[in-house]
Order: sequence, then structure tokens, then C-alpha cells
Amino acid sequence: MAERKRPTSVHRRLLSYLLAPLLLLLVAGVAVDHHVIVSPIHSAFDHSLSRAALAIVARIHSRGDGQLDVNLPPRPPLPLRAMPDEHFYYRVSLPDGTTVAGTPELPITPDTQSADGFSYTNINFRGQLFRLASYRTSETGDPLIVTVAETPARRDRAVHRLDVAFLINDTVQMAAVLIIALIGISISLRPLQRLSRQIAGRPAAALNQLQTNEVPAEVLPLVESLNALLGRVRDSVLSQQHFLANAAHQLRTPLTGLKAQLEVLSRETAGTALQERITLLQGGVDRLAHTANQLLTLARAEPSAHRASHFTAVDLPHLIGEVIDSSLDRAVAHGIDLGAECEPVQVTGVYWLLLEVLNNLIDNAIRHTPAGGNITIRCGTTDQRPFLEVDDSGVGIPVEERDKVRERFYRSVRSTNDGSDGCGLGLAIVDEVARVHGAHLSILDGTSGRGVRMRIDFPAAV
Amino acid sequence: MRILLVEDDSLVSDAISRGLIGSGYVVDAVGDAESVASRLSDTHYDLAIVDLGLPGEDGLSLVRRLRRSGSSLPLLIVTARDGLDDRINALDLGADDYLVKPFALPELAARCRALIRRATAAAANEIVIGGLRIDLAGRRALNEKGEVLELTRREWSILECLAHHSGRVVSKERLTQAITGWSEDISGNAIEVHVSRLRSKLGSAATVRGIRGLGYRLEDA
Repeated sequence: MAERKRPTSVHRRLLSYLLAPLLLLLVAGVAVDHHVIVSPIHSAFDHSLSRAALAIVARIHSRGDGQLDVNLPPRPPLPLRAMPDEHFYYRVSLPDGTTVAGTPELPITPDTQSADGFSYTNINFRGQLFRLASYRTSETGDPLIVTVAETPARRDRAVHRLDVAFLINDTVQMAAVLIIALIGISISLRPLQRLSRQIAGRPAAALNQLQTNEVPAEVLPLVESLNALLGRVRDSVLSQQHFLANAAHQLRTPLTGLKAQLEVLSRETAGTALQERITLLQGGVDRLAHTANQLLTLARAEPSAHRASHFTAVDLPHLIGEVIDSSLDRAVAHGIDLGAECEPVQVTGVYWLLLEVLNNLIDNAIRHTPAGGNITIRCGTTDQRPFLEVDDSGVGIPVEERDKVRERFYRSVRSTNDGSDGCGLGLAIVDEVARVHGAHLSILDGTSGRGVRMRIDFPAAV
Repeated sequence: MRILLVEDDSLVSDAISRGLIGSGYVVDAVGDAESVASRLSDTHYDLAIVDLGLPGEDGLSLVRRLRRSGSSLPLLIVTARDGLDDRINALDLGADDYLVKPFALPELAARCRALIRRATAAAANEIVIGGLRIDLAGRRALNEKGEVLELTRREWSILECLAHHSGRVVSKERLTQAITGWSEDISGNAIEVHVSRLRSKLGSAATVRGIRGLGYRLEDA
């Protein structure tokens, strides 16, 4: 199987599409800048080199015999002196190539016939690069060529420094552009993030429509088709619930008739051989009735069947009082001590669903607790989360069976105290209702060391 | 005791009639709400059992009509609808009790008995639990032999409070509130002492069951 590709992120794509061209632009920008500054810097340094030639010319005196006297001190002043890491050479020569003063090996630039008499060139002299300037002049009377040469270290340093400055400047600009672009992308992706938060924050089974205001136009068709889909799913869930409710409803009246007829029959045939068979029939009808009731409850416990308006503040101690009122007689009849330990606590919930939950839990507890046992219903708060639990001293549920008992129609092999068995929907209802309330059902060991403790932890109140 | 049964399903109607006749009642069964009026005009009934899902005029409308006409006939609703809204609706309209199908005949019979007794006792301003008769007007309680029980004021208040909520669990706090008219500071232990004295005075007429962590319930002995 092909490895699942990581989902492409709009963020990352935009970023990569921006980053590559921006980097190219940066390189190109620095190159252009370098090109633009090199020639003005060179002409500035050439100009300074020409000043050196002029300074030498100023110190040439023509002696009367036509001989020239170049009067340079041992340490010439700047600009004639080389910087510590530089070399500076000069040569004063005649047009015929005769050297009058300076370094005779120094070459002379070819005459470019420039208006100011200067001509420049780069040479390799004594193994080093030199910038060479020759000045052709007749200031002292006879034509003379004054040639000066310096190592180009200073001008190279200047160009280099400017290059670095441009690079830094351009990089900072690019980074700023990138940051601005990223912020822009984030801001414009915010409606998408809101939308995905809205979808992620919904309860898993919620089928209500997504809000379309504030959804950007580009995503609106997506949200609208999602809403249409949700609508269709909701309709089908509702019609299924409707069908189940109707079916269970329509079952009830004939079941009542059957039950009542069998009871009358049982009374009328008391003491005859028919009694046993009638009792069997009664058991069957009771199971059928119980299943129909549980199915109806389960259908109505479906999360999508509930609107926010069905949720009210439910006082758990009051709920427990209510359920005990209706279960006490059965507990007493089975010789079970039914009690409660209530701390004042409220949850937000659907009252009758919570009533069904507690009824189912107590019903289970009574069926699986032998005479002389006890059942304790507790409510309270742990870590600010309300809880409701039913703790019995009955036969318990083996750990490996605890997940299965939540499944619909799962039939446990554990013994019941009256031979009756449920339809296998009780805990499915409890589990479903817990989910409707964002609560969690845990099946734990009973606190007495025997039995089972069914605990529902509700979400912390907001 | 005569009961009017309004139920359209013949299987159910027949069984309920037989069951209640077996319990010693006289039962007249009709299949729709329209025939109720003529029955009521020429016969006295102690109770009517009304199915909500009737053909034509439904049970809720019948209940509303009866109560508007000023009838105080005890009404027991039986229905396949068990939504909380339906229940509240029926009780608000003036029904006295509500039983969801499918039910067991003995439960129906018990509810009928309770409703009839309640109606009779209300007329006499009495509450009857098992062998115990509580005379609210005379502020006294009589056991099954007709002897007046010697109760202290606090014991009487507790009994009165329990009797008003008979069949239901009454919390200790509620009992405390019922007697704090005489004393402002009463501990839960004090309630236990009063209840245990009351219990021994009731003898075999009725009993007060203590329910761990919740309170007390007055029951038939």
C-alpha cells in the first residue's frame, strides 16, 4: 500500500512559492547593486591615483641644462606614500622611454589620447596586481610621462564593504517582505481556521448546520455542500428515529392487551396445569415489552435528536430521589439495601434521559445483586467534574467483558438473582446517553470488593 | 365501586375489565370519548380510566372537557406515549395519575385503589396508609384498631409531612424544616430519635422506612 501523503498545507505551499522567487530576487538584486557601484568607486580611486601623479609633477623642476630634478623626500607625504599593506611605485620618464626618476621597470600605459592626459590600466607587476596611471604632460617644458601604480587593496575593500552592505540591506528587505507575506497569509487563512475549529469543536454526532457567515467566498461552496450533506444525514436519522419510535409505540397497546389478558387468564386458571405455560408466556411478553421500551428509549437517546433547548440544569440529588422512589419497592422485595450518598451537584442535561440512565443502572444493579446485598447511588464532584455512580455488591462483571456489555444486544452470562434477563440494551442506552451529555461511562470494581461500580463522569461545568 | 373505562382497543379493554372485575370493581367499558358524557349523566362513577389515543376526540381533550364542566371524577390516564411533555400535559389538564403502557394489571389495580382512596380521604380530610388513618383536621392519627396514637408535637409534624408525601422518600432536611417551627436548631440525630419513637408508636399500623443517605418513607406495614 502506498504510504499516505502528508496533507498539503495552503500555508506551506504559499510559503514555498514565495520563498524560491524571493531568494532568486535577492541574488539578482545584490549582483545588480555590485555592478552599479563598481565603476564610480573605481573612478574615485583612479582620481585619487591621478592626484598622486600630479603631486609628483609638482615636484619636478627643470634645471637649466635641460635636466629634470625630481625632488621627493625619503618619506613622501600622502597620497604619494603607500598605506602599510600597500605598494606604491612611480616612474618619471621621457617619451623615448628614458627613466628620469622612480622605478625604471614600471610599465607605462598606452596613450589613450584623453583630454586630461591620463590613461589607466591594470597590470601584473612583481607578482602583484597593480592599478597603473600614466600622465602625459608638458607642464615643465618638455613632454614627460609620470606613471604611478598602487595595489588595488583599498578599492577592493571599498567594493567588498559596499557589497556586504547591499547584501545585508537586501536580505533584511526580503525578510521583511516574507514576514509581511506570512502575516498576510495567516490573517487571510484565519476564516478557514475558524471554520475548521467550528467543525472540530462539534460533538461527533451533531448534525446541525454549519454557520456560513464569515466563511470566505472561496470555501463557501464547500461549506454549503457539507451543510446539504448534514441535512440529508439528519433527515435520514430523524426518519429512522421516527420509525423506531412509531414501531415501539404501536407495539405497546397490543402488548398491554396481551399482558393483561395473560394475567386475567392466569388468575382464572389458578391451580390448573395451564398455569406453568401461562407463566412462561407472561415472561415472554414481559421481555418483549421491556425490549420495545428500551428500543424506544434508545431511539430517542440518539444525540442528533436533541436540540440545545432540551438541555436544562438537572439537580443530581433530586434525580436520585426521584429514581429511588420508583425503585425502592423492587429493591425491598429483593431484600437489597438501597441507599444514596449525595453531595449537592448540578449537570446540564436532558432530564428524562438522565432519569432513564439511572433507572437502567439501578435496574441492572438490582437484577445482579443477591438478597442481603446493597446498592449505593452516589453523586458529587471530583476535580470539578460532576459524577453519578451506582455501586452494587452483586456478581460483578469480569474485566474482559466490560467493553462488550456496552454493545447493543450483548447478553452477559452473569447470573441474575431472579432468573430474568434483560434485552441487552440497558448499558447501550446508558452509554449513548452519556455520550449525548459529553460524559463518560466507566465500569469499575464495586467498592465493597465485589460487584460493579457504574460511574458516569460529566464534563466540568463551564 | 364503579369504574368507567374509556379504551378503544378491545384486547386491552377486555383484559382491564376482567382484571378489575376480578378485583371487585364494577366496570363499564366504552370505546370512544363521545359516549362518555351520556354515561356520566346517568351513572355515578368513582373513577375513570382514559386511554389517550382514542379515535375521534382524543383522551387529552376529554380530560380537558370533563374538568371544564366542573367534574371532580378521579381520572387515570393510560397511554402508549411516555414523553415527559405528554405526562406533564395530562397532569396539568387535570388528570390525577398517569400510567404508561404496557403495565401490569396489579399495578393498574393499585393505582385505582389509591386514587379512589385519595378522593374519599380528601373529602374527609384524611390520609390513609395501610391500617393508619391520619385525621388532618383533628390533628390526630388512629391505628387499625381505631385507637388514637399519643404523639408529641414533633412526632405529629413528622408523621404529617411523611403522610403528605406517602409512597415517596422524604429527606431529613425536609423533616427538619417541618418541625423547625418549634425549634430552630435541630440535628439530624434528633430527627432519627423522633422517627424511631414515632415508628414504635405506629406499631403494626404502618411503618417508617429509613433509606440510607436519603431520608424516610411512610409505608404500609
